Amino acid sequence: MADFDDPDRVWPTGLTLKESIELHKYLIDGARLFFLSSVVAHALVAAFTPWLG
Amino acid sequence: MGPRWLPFADVATPDLPLSRLLRLSLFQISVGMTMVLLVGTLNRVMIVELGVATSLVALMIALPIVFAPFRAIIGFSSDHHRSELGWRRVPFIWKGTMWQFCGYAFMPFAILVLAGKGESHRIPEWIGVVSAAVAFLAVGAGMHTVQTAGLALATDLTPKEAHPKVVGLMYVTLLIGMMGSALLFGIALEDYIHARLVGVIQGTALATLTLNVIAMWKQETRRPARHQPKREREPSFRESWAAFLEGDHARRRLVIVGLGTLAFGLSEVILEPFGGQVMGMEVSSTTKLTALLAFGGLCGFGYASRILRRGSDVQRVTQLGAVLGIPGFVMVLASPVTGLMPLFLVGNFLVGFGGAIFGHATLTDTMNRAPDDQVGLALGAWGAVQATAAGTAMALSGILRDLFDEVLGSGTAAGYNAVYVLELVLLVATIVITAPLVRSAAPRPGVYGGGAPEGGRA
Repeated sequence: MADFDDPDRVWPTGLTLKESIELHKYLIDGARLFFLSSVVAHALVAAFTPWLG
Repeated sequence: MGPRWLPFADVATPDLPLSRLLRLSLFQISVGMTMVLLVGTLNRVMIVELGVATSLVALMIALPIVFAPFRAIIGFSSDHHRSELGWRRVPFIWKGTMWQFCGYAFMPFAILVLAGKGESHRIPEWIGVVSAAVAFLAVGAGMHTVQTAGLALATDLTPKEAHPKVVGLMYVTLLIGMMGSALLFGIALEDYIHARLVGVIQGTALATLTLNVIAMWKQETRRPARHQPKREREPSFRESWAAFLEGDHARRRLVIVGLGTLAFGLSEVILEPFGGQVMGMEVSSTTKLTALLAFGGLCGFGYASRILRRGSDVQRVTQLGAVLGIPGFVMVLASPVTGLMPLFLVGNFLVGFGGAIFGHATLTDTMNRAPDDQVGLALGAWGAVQATAAGTAMALSGILRDLFDEVLGSGTAAGYNAVYVLELVLLVATIVITAPLVRSAAPRPGVYGGGAPEGGRA
């Protein structure tokens, strides 16, 4: 169980710095994966119905 | 903004309320949706509507199954995941969800390019094949990860005596997810247009993400790494696996899961064509056979939850499931000879009923036996064997039927009969292998707390 009196906890989330960094990593990884798959999706749609002529 | 808005459960609750358990089981709906979409809906759409070569479709469908054995490794990594946030399972459910979502995001376009629709015939063929393969693999890998970590989380969160209830709930939710999405996909794709296919797949992506986030929100008890005792060295997967196999009859238990799942799984795919070709049912009414099988399954899960909670020995219940399948298969085999439709229907109900009891008992047994530090590995191993056997059964049943048909070459029923006989043989083998476990289990009346409230039964 997390301890609430940890002095490293920061406002406004109540997370410690290390915890926020870890959470941030999930966000960034997700964004990268989203970007990558959207590039693939766009390329495939371009092959299906070319919009660049 | 405060902890209320963050996805953490800071308080460990000794007794999980049913509402939270129900919410957790939502991930099974998304797993069920994926299974139906990959194996059922897209299989049909790619062959019938898009005219993709059958062998290529079979390859795409098989890809997610290839990933199934890796469940053991996924489970192991989640056991040893070190996290500042103190999460072991949530990161894996999240990553699995992400893979599924991203795979779904470009899957419809990959399928359209694979089929050479629109202008895509002007680009090299391999682009379609590779992108579709990547999409199927990503979705399959994601699904296996979500289910393994999800089941491990459910095991972590509940005490041993609640496991039959949890397993029943998980199976029933999976069944509901599969039946519901099969119906929905059927309605949505009735008049096929490309845009509809894109809509259905991307809708599934959104539903998967939403359901899984709701399922894992504030569920896992946090165990921050700084509070955990530092180990000298984390054991490797090989060492953990060897330790796991040294457990009481661990190998035997996995073989039982594999053989039994194979036996019951083989019948699922050939059920509808059997009803149509051998029993002479209308094509539209053969769907009801699958519904009947599912109904038998629901009854089986309910019954297994009930008797296991009352203290029945898990091994005996496993054996009971396999034993019930035998009259079921015999009735199905006898029905074309006697021409009795009720016999066929009762037989199929029994197969669904027995299969459900078997699946329930093996998963409950796995959850009960898993040591605290090997929950993920144990459930991963169960899932690896179960998913591989189920997938193999699905792929094999059609091939086996055609093969037997050619070898025996007499009448339409010959191939089907041979497959059903094979299922019987597998069930008998399962029962024989279960026997030593049943014998070694001393009668332990009321261990699982016979006085537990009945309200939570699935």
